Amino acid sequence: MTPAAPAIRVQNVSQTYGAAGDPRRVVALGGASLEIARGEMVCLVGPSGCGKSTLLNLIGGLATPESGNIWIDGEPVRGPQPQKVAFVFQESALFPWRTIQENVELGMEFQGVPVSERASRARESLATAGLSAFASHYPRQLSGGMKQRAQLARALALRTGILLMDEPFAALDEQTRMVFGEELSLLLANAGKTIVLVTHSLTEAVFLADRVAVFSARPGRIKQIVSVDEEHPRRQSFMTSPKLAQLRNELYDLLHDEIRSTMNLPAAEPGQ
Amino acid sequence: MSRPEPAVARLAVIALLLGIWEVAARAFGNPLFICPPSRVVAAFAALFRDADVVEAVYYTSFEILVAFVIAVVIGFALGLAVGLHRFTRGAMYPVILLLYAMPQVTILPLFVVVFGIGAVSKIAFGVSHGVFPMIMTVAAGAQSIEPILLRSARSMGANRMQVLRYVVFPHLVPSFFAGMRLAMTAVLLGVLVAELYVSQAGVGRFTSAFTQTFQPANLFALIGVLAALAITLNELCRRAELRFSRWCAG
Amino acid sequence: MNSRVTQRLVQAAFVASIALLWHFATASGRVAPLLLPPMPAVGHELSALAADADFWPDLRTTLFELVMAFLLAAAAGTAAGYAVSRTRYAVRTFEPLMAGMYAVPAILLFPLYVLFFGLGPGSKIAIGATIAFFPVALSTITGLSGVNRLYLTAARSMGASSGQTFRLVMLPAALPAILAGLRIGANAAFMAILGAETIASFAGLGHRIVSMAESMDTAKMFANIVLAMSVAAMINIAVSAAEKRGWKHEQA
Repeated sequence: MTPAAPAIRVQNVSQTYGAAGDPRRVVALGGASLEIARGEMVCLVGPSGCGKSTLLNLIGGLATPESGNIWIDGEPVRGPQPQKVAFVFQESALFPWRTIQENVELGMEFQGVPVSERASRARESLATAGLSAFASHYPRQLSGGMKQRAQLARALALRTGILLMDEPFAALDEQTRMVFGEELSLLLANAGKTIVLVTHSLTEAVFLADRVAVFSARPGRIKQIVSVDEEHPRRQSFMTSPKLAQLRNELYDLLHDEIRSTMNLPAAEPGQ
Repeated sequence: MSRPEPAVARLAVIALLLGIWEVAARAFGNPLFICPPSRVVAAFAALFRDADVVEAVYYTSFEILVAFVIAVVIGFALGLAVGLHRFTRGAMYPVILLLYAMPQVTILPLFVVVFGIGAVSKIAFGVSHGVFPMIMTVAAGAQSIEPILLRSARSMGANRMQVLRYVVFPHLVPSFFAGMRLAMTAVLLGVLVAELYVSQAGVGRFTSAFTQTFQPANLFALIGVLAALAITLNELCRRAELRFSRWCAG
Repeated sequence: MNSRVTQRLVQAAFVASIALLWHFATASGRVAPLLLPPMPAVGHELSALAADADFWPDLRTTLFELVMAFLLAAAAGTAAGYAVSRTRYAVRTFEPLMAGMYAVPAILLFPLYVLFFGLGPGSKIAIGATIAFFPVALSTITGLSGVNRLYLTAARSMGASSGQTFRLVMLPAALPAILAGLRIGANAAFMAILGAETIASFAGLGHRIVSMAESMDTAKMFANIVLAMSVAAMINIAVSAAEKRGWKHEQA
């Protein structure tokens, strides 16, 4: 491992679903490249089906790219790396038959962490996520926002350097996701983790990210990267600032034609 | 006027039906064919003093339990194989569906020709009924596992055995018990039909004896005992299912 | 590599291997022809069935019993289901009672019916109707009491009378469930009638199979089993087709 290596390096990665000749064959990713520095937070935005989630799975080693290479800490990815990478999915990824505490402990159980350490690490990360009082509840007894905090606690308890979040706010209502976004920014500002987050919300992307990677329509590749120059943790005042609005509009301009093309509409006429 | 609880009303309906039966049987019934429920109750006591009848009920219960255990074990293994592997499912599922849709009673005489008139043919016939609902329920359960749970487990470093133990099996617990309930209903049907068809030592011997010698009170009583046995076994499986489907209520 | 083709091949291989196993088991003489007759013999008996003078009356008996049992169960089951579904209270009182009775193997009543109605078609019709009654009644209750409240409110807001609400809203909404109940009932009645004919009777398809088993005429028995299964398959196809006609709006 070279100390200068970026946390994540993605080089010209492509991925296709479906066999050759199958009419349903889809090129999800068509040569995406990206470098993410240690401690950086990058949001991936783009039209539906552009391969954002696919890229996340490839970085996490849950799938193997058809072509191209991915390195984590300078080492090529060849499968899941639970010691280095933790995932946060949509809320349904909590195991319904385990309590919140048991859910948080599960990853450590897979990795053979001793029982006593598991319990204390789980309690610690539940406290960080503000869920200590709900440790023995079952997932279905929690609200959507709390379930997502529980998933975050599960990921934090694994103590990985990298956190991959796949549309973690998708199932939440707008108010909850705004508050959760603030909490997340506060929580992660001091954690020093490298984070990649897939989202559909442009506001959220600007609010949270150091850099926002904008994908083109299918076959997805990274069209442009927009930097957000703002201190962490970010507060509510940033949410309503003209700076955020201006960056969000910039993202929307970049995405507008891509989204039209996925809807099979002609590109907008100039001046419209 | 407030209405009684539905459960109370239900008991009242049953009592009313028994009352109508009692009056009608006493007033109009031919005692060769029908008897009032009061006589059936009296026949229960006499029936249980007959050691042969008690023996036959035990014997049939034994056939039911053995058939049930075999059906559950085989059904679970096949259901898992069919549900977890796409290829096995594509190859085996249509064959299993076809076998399930066959009217099995038509091959009952074949079971007797092959396995004889003893307990083995009843058990085999019971298994042939119970195994299919078990396969279907377990296979459906295995297919309904959220892919995100499997991905989530793999992302946390679970190996194949851990995925089975921590994700697949816990997820299958409700399906397992639901399958057991359906298998029990089917096994009861299979074993009892086989008993009624031909029987050496089981209850079928007495149902046909009571029919041929026109003893309605004894016949009603014996059928009542068998129905009670069926209700008890079904209810045990249903309770188990309710208890173990806790996290499904989400 | 197309896995669907491979799966079809595995299925074909499965069927072929069973046929081969059957052929070799009987041709080598390892299995007594009494237990398993050679395939050509079964084929021969199958083609001889149509010419058999006893066959048509037996088939007619079974089909007559089936039609009568089904009509009785359909009429009584939908009527009882409608009556129960009129109020929530009646649903909560009677639905568990019927569901509980449905789980008891009703074939147990057959000896009683033999006592009441004799060995003829009467006892077969009675057992078939009893067994088919429960799925019909239960799915009628489910269908009628499960109609989306929003539809009823919408109909009332447009000024529908209670008769119109039933005819134009509840019935179409409940129809898929009722048709499914009738399909399950028809199949259950056929199984029950075949079973009853097997247990005690002197006519019908079930009886034919038993008498051939008893006279150790296994080739003929197999031919009749194959035939009974095709009748069952045809009933299944017919009722499923009837059911699909009532489901048109569900098809994309």
